[in-house]
Amino acid sequence: MVEKLRFSDLSKMICFLAITLIVSGMVPNKLLAVQVKSNNATIEFHKTTLASIQEMFYKTRFEKQISLELNELNLKQALREFAEVTGMKLTYRGDIIPDKTVTLTSNSIAVSDALDYMLEDTGLDYQFSQEGYLLIQRAKPNTESVVYVQSISGVVLDAMDGTPIPAVNIVVVGSEESVGGVIGTTSNVEGEFELNVPDDLNTLLITSVGYVEQTVDLNGRTNLTIELERANELLDDIVVVGYGMQRQERVTGSISSVRADELDEQPISDLSTALQGRASGVEIVRSGGDPGASGAIRIRGTGTVNNADPLIVIDGMPSDLRSLNNINSDNVESIDVLKDASSAAIYGNRAANGVILVTTKSGQLDQPLQVKFNSSLGFSQPVNTIDVLDAPTLAELKRERYTNDGIPVNPIWEDPQYQTQRTNWQDELLGTGTIQDYSLSLQGGNSTSSFYVSGNYMDEQGMMESSYFDRYGLKINSSHNISEKLNIRQNLTLSRTSGNTLNTQSAQTGVLWSAIRFHPGLPVKYDDGTYSSSQISGEFGDINNPIFTVEQDSDSESEYRRVLGNVQAEYNILPGLSVRGNLGLDYSLQDFYTYNIIIDDQIRARSRNSLDRRFTENRSILTEAFLDYSNSLGENHDIDVLGGIILEKFQGETFRANRLDFTDESESQRVLDAGNTINLADGTTFEDALLSYLGRLNYAYDDKYLLTASLRYDGSSRFSSDNRWGLFPAFSAGWRISEESFFDGLRSTINNMRITAGWGRSGNQSIARNQFLGLYGQNSQYSFNGAQVRGISQTRIPNRDISWETVEMLNFGLHTRWLEDRVNATIEYFIKDSKDVLLAPPILGTLGTATVPDVNVGEIRNKGFEIELGYSGVIGQFNYNVTGNASFIKNEVTNLNDDFLSSRRYGRPDAEISRTFEGEPIATFFGWKTDGLYQNQQEIDSDPNISNDSRQDIIQPGDVRFIDLNGDGQITGEDRAILGSPHPDMTYGLSLTSGYKNFSLNLHFAGAAGVEIYNADRMQGLDPTYPFNMYAEVENRWNGQGSSNSIPRMTTLRDNQNHRTSDLFIENGNYLRLKSFTLGYEMPAEVNSFLGTRGLRLYVTGINVFTVTPYTGIDPELGYTDGNLQRNVDFAQYPQPRTWTFGLTVDF
Amino acid sequence: MKKNNSIRNRKMSYQFKKNSSRMKSGSVLLLLSFSILALTFLSGCDEGVLDTTPYGQTTSDSFWRTATDAEAAINAVYHPLPSHDLYGHTEMTLINIPSDDEFRAGDHGPHSDLENFTYDATHPYFDISWKNKYEIIQRTNDVLINVAEMDIDQNLKNRILGEAHFMRGFAYWTLAKLFAGVPLILEDDVLNGEYDKPRATLEATYAQIESDFQQAANLLPATHDGANIGRPHSGAAWGYLTMVYMYQEKFQDAIEAGSRVIEGPYPLAASFDENFSIQTQYNPEILFTVGSSEGWRTQAHTIYTTPRPWGGWDFQAPLPDLVEEFEEGDPRQDYSIMMPGDIFDLGGDRGVTEFTADLSPTTGYHFEKYAAWRDAGGLDMNMNIPLLRSAEVYLYVAEAKIRSGGNGDTELNAVRSRAGMPAVTNATMDHIIHERRVELAGEGRRHFDLMRWDKAGIVDIEQIYGEDRGVYDPPRIFVRPKHYYYAIPQNQIDISGGTLEQNPGH
Repeated sequence: MVEKLRFSDLSKMICFLAITLIVSGMVPNKLLAVQVKSNNATIEFHKTTLASIQEMFYKTRFEKQISLELNELNLKQALREFAEVTGMKLTYRGDIIPDKTVTLTSNSIAVSDALDYMLEDTGLDYQFSQEGYLLIQRAKPNTESVVYVQSISGVVLDAMDGTPIPAVNIVVVGSEESVGGVIGTTSNVEGEFELNVPDDLNTLLITSVGYVEQTVDLNGRTNLTIELERANELLDDIVVVGYGMQRQERVTGSISSVRADELDEQPISDLSTALQGRASGVEIVRSGGDPGASGAIRIRGTGTVNNADPLIVIDGMPSDLRSLNNINSDNVESIDVLKDASSAAIYGNRAANGVILVTTKSGQLDQPLQVKFNSSLGFSQPVNTIDVLDAPTLAELKRERYTNDGIPVNPIWEDPQYQTQRTNWQDELLGTGTIQDYSLSLQGGNSTSSFYVSGNYMDEQGMMESSYFDRYGLKINSSHNISEKLNIRQNLTLSRTSGNTLNTQSAQTGVLWSAIRFHPGLPVKYDDGTYSSSQISGEFGDINNPIFTVEQDSDSESEYRRVLGNVQAEYNILPGLSVRGNLGLDYSLQDFYTYNIIIDDQIRARSRNSLDRRFTENRSILTEAFLDYSNSLGENHDIDVLGGIILEKFQGETFRANRLDFTDESESQRVLDAGNTINLADGTTFEDALLSYLGRLNYAYDDKYLLTASLRYDGSSRFSSDNRWGLFPAFSAGWRISEESFFDGLRSTINNMRITAGWGRSGNQSIARNQFLGLYGQNSQYSFNGAQVRGISQTRIPNRDISWETVEMLNFGLHTRWLEDRVNATIEYFIKDSKDVLLAPPILGTLGTATVPDVNVGEIRNKGFEIELGYSGVIGQFNYNVTGNASFIKNEVTNLNDDFLSSRRYGRPDAEISRTFEGEPIATFFGWKTDGLYQNQQEIDSDPNISNDSRQDIIQPGDVRFIDLNGDGQITGEDRAILGSPHPDMTYGLSLTSGYKNFSLNLHFAGAAGVEIYNADRMQGLDPTYPFNMYAEVENRWNGQGSSNSIPRMTTLRDNQNHRTSDLFIENGNYLRLKSFTLGYEMPAEVNSFLGTRGLRLYVTGINVFTVTPYTGIDPELGYTDGNLQRNVDFAQYPQPRTWTFGLTVDF
Repeated sequence: MKKNNSIRNRKMSYQFKKNSSRMKSGSVLLLLSFSILALTFLSGCDEGVLDTTPYGQTTSDSFWRTATDAEAAINAVYHPLPSHDLYGHTEMTLINIPSDDEFRAGDHGPHSDLENFTYDATHPYFDISWKNKYEIIQRTNDVLINVAEMDIDQNLKNRILGEAHFMRGFAYWTLAKLFAGVPLILEDDVLNGEYDKPRATLEATYAQIESDFQQAANLLPATHDGANIGRPHSGAAWGYLTMVYMYQEKFQDAIEAGSRVIEGPYPLAASFDENFSIQTQYNPEILFTVGSSEGWRTQAHTIYTTPRPWGGWDFQAPLPDLVEEFEEGDPRQDYSIMMPGDIFDLGGDRGVTEFTADLSPTTGYHFEKYAAWRDAGGLDMNMNIPLLRSAEVYLYVAEAKIRSGGNGDTELNAVRSRAGMPAVTNATMDHIIHERRVELAGEGRRHFDLMRWDKAGIVDIEQIYGEDRGVYDPPRIFVRPKHYYYAIPQNQIDISGGTLEQNPGH
């Protein structure tokens, strides 16, 4: 195993936490005292130069009393001594300290007084920094100039419930121009602040995350009570739209937004997880709970059988679903989901599946430095396991199958040695996992620049040994007003993730699959330390000991390094007219490592060891240029026109090498050079390009009648030059009824009402490249006379006509706010028609196995309602906010050229489970219908279903009665029918956010209703013809007339294929899950002042706390297992754990 | 001009100076931002950016030009043979498991359906076998269409076209054996894009197979040398023609075709086991074989059929009834089947090891023909799978002579004497049935021989398969004519929208 930098060891973790506490508690008390507003210090502003943003020095009056004894010391020595006593770090530049002897002895002298005394007549001045530095520098000529100040004090309260708000930034507007430095402070935990304001300045700017920014004119007042409005409404007011922002009242499309505070404090490795149940029409389909697992995102249903992931745009940089895994949720400001085509069409070429805009945090101009540290530690455990047979019962049922078949019992099942229950393999496999997450962020700004920097680390160790995910991330955002006309901003995300995903989908080697089936009478290890093995008998099945697999045979790592960044420049040519350029880079390097050991004492042996290395490099460069004009023409006409051109180039390379025969398997020898036989060296190179021209017009008349129109013209290299261009128009309109005069009477109840309608078309080109070319692949090797020859054969039949897949969507919305914005309700209806869907038609076998290109034939319709409701209220000091959303989406394949699409088959029986048919939803379950079990011979003899079937004589009581749908008296493939749909009729989410004094409680539920699951693992778990352990349910098998009508008899024979794909294994997959639970406690002011922090919050978060479901498998949340063509098929995937996390957030 | 420029430059620099020092870095950034704009517009105006290169891939426009292309194209025709979907596994189970020679063993559910005749048309292997054989046909058609028009050395061209005819005939033959008549996709169909064709009759399918093998026999040389050894030659084509004639009971044609092999440069190997040893597996007796080369194109049949503790997976175990069929002292028993007490060199740490009955979890035996171990230990995947040997052609000719009223002793005894077994005189079909069973054990012939002879009234397959021979060979229900052929894959019937018709009984 390659050495990995991980804190897997508990002691290290404790150590790390201890350091965290020291940093958050003790250190600031000593060193960061200058930042603390305590009674001992008042800030006195002098004109200072901000050397750089990172080096903010403040001249502070320190009245803290210290004891000093300086006896005829040289000034340098005296300062050093002084620094030691006060715990400050002395710094000065150059040789500026003059020779001067200082004598100062006092048991109680103020820090500032001591310094003043020492520096008297030296022409030197001092400043403190928040990092605890004491800077000695030459006094600026005007340093001594007296600034007349007025002392202001005040308190900041929440306008809704009157509670004090800590950590509010209060800045004197214009202070930098006036005195050359930003004058400001922050409120303490009681919401109180004190500030000295130069008397020529009159205005304060009050800002706090989550609240509406406010300016306060002093007008001679010195004691202020400031009430801040919660920002929910106002923040909601601004939504991020394609290439810009818009006030929500003016939005004419369909956009759902999720704010940062909803995502905080969740120990998640993937942002998509945090979105689950948060927005209507947005479905997150989890495909397993392994560390780092991403969920698939479906916006308004699955619109294509191809890549149906939405486009992810991070700070203006188009990216992929994976990038959600590369970003720490603490860094995210907001996530806006463009759901309908009229809002998404501006991203034309990749917008067919919707667009998710992620905006990361940024600093504000004139924002004092804010340092925030968040640390959490969590533990995950399995929610449940499958009940399987114990060793004695297993032996008994195995014997029964031989007796039933009339053949001698295999003696291994008589051996008492294997009839003692020894191991619950699932319990052995599924242990306790850990999650730890740390992030440190700094943000701030002066009058021209602002920045946000965050470093973070997370590590998740899965419930199964060897499964893990960790991430290091660095986020740097900054914005600079170079001049009044030019602004440059930059976003950069660096991330490195690494992890190991165990095989949990295979019905040959999947580890959970194996644990369910491994012999319960074998120990994990024998006394001599060797792993038990089913090599003992073929009757125990060809499964390797799953604990051996995860402990010894899972040396694999996938590492992913990514740089995602862009630089934007915006230049205001004239008022209202600006030009903007954006240059972005998305670079990633993916590195896979897999080492396979020699296995000879397990049943699935491996005779040669090998090491496989694979590298994939992806480079994507984006260049964009926009011209934007917005203005008000006359009194009532607001227009905003945007035009742009975008070029994206993608290039990449893959490289793979593999060697066999390592003489030494020790960890230090697991490098390619140590392998004796070179097995393969492969490599490929690929490129893609997209070129787009776009334009958009927003028009508002009297702020009542709104119109948005956009047009985009896109070219893609994935299509031949004749078919590569697509035109993607969109129109939408809105009417703010509540602004009409006839609405006046209603406005006190319904304070805001808007109806919108829109239509748009967008495109999808996410298909295999080069399909318009007939390709000959060079991999058709063979050997003659021992010599290897290379063959070239046609691997792809061309489709010269291949072109854009398009989605046309019609959207209607009604948006209302009631009772002074306490209630908001939105209802939307949409019809989303995917046209020219690129389908790989089912290949006529007579064409062979070459890849047939996709053809633009399919049509898929998704339509449905979405409802979002919210209510916020206050009862005394208890404030709460309840939001709920529900989506009812119906998926139907409307045209498939009279064909059907097959999907992945399941495991050992090679069972076909899912097919996609015209007139039905994608990926329906397809198989035989059943009508109970045959209870006696007479039922078999008289059954018309098999009257003509040659197997009628072999079928026995206790076998399944399959229904002969086509009436030919035989059970054949022609008798199959659609058994169910994996798509929920409804998905919903419900969130409660509440606060009482210093406590906060957030609950978030997510669920699905009207959904079915095909339990393939149970299908095999009940099947006695395999040499495996079985589900405990088989104790209730048929073993005589009337004993069971659903669990077939014990037999070794597959004559009736009792366990073929049938409705016996369809289950109700409805669930309601408490997805997350967070209880937080904000430390009171006394604690903060004692610790020297601005804010300290403790919280506990539970994920997947409980689930209500009738489903009998491990987890009802199942994802896709074959693109979009198979869903909700239970393969014994890695289950989602229940996680409890304890965390701490410190504001310095 | 020059002067003017310098003046203007000076003016500009003066203007910059007048601004604060911040503007200096600002001007750099301004230039940068304009560069971004310029870059976008310049590259955006050139639509050529959308013409990307398919690196490492040959497009249809640039292929079929040189002799090297033609050779690469014919090499690719063989590529599917050792794959898991054909002789690496699937095909070996389809042709072997239903016989009374072996128990399926292993734990693949679909194998029990094959063994017990309880399969239906959805059996996944039918679809796999069907598609992969048509892939060979597709590749041969591609060669026949394109190479015919190429201007290359005539000998090379003949060889390549001959190989293409051979492989197309071979693919249709293996389809016809399993499914009876199948859609015939030939050059014209490819050119017309016509793939959704109904099934040809069995007769028409046979006629196409005969035609392909005959053309192959005409175009191909009698032998190959050097690196080409292992490619089909005219002897291979004659050998397959013999077999195809025998299945149609065209005995005279079979004798005639078979004699081309017997009289040709395809002598029986000196020792039976030379055919199943890596060092000698390209000896002249091997008319056609599936080439396997470790790490390159490797068949998996070796892994499936060898004992688990020795690196294999224990599938397809010989039944006692087959073991007992061998005459006392017949060395072929020893070479074909791992018997308790046999000694094997497994190489590596294990070295010389004795085979014991408990190494087989089922019948107590393993097949040995396809097993080999490397000196360093581990299965040796350089082991080929012979598909047709001259010995079998000798036996066909003997059978054809006997069944057409003649005497087949010469050919039968040639095979027996090579094995060191005493000659027989006035051999009957009973001798042929016995000899084919022991000579070709595990080579995929028994089940098809029994069906062939059952149709001719020589044996009663329902009775043979209906017999109870113990746990691993219980009575099995073979239904005539349903089980003479497998079912046309349901998936293909579904896709064809009904163009394909199912075999009777399925």
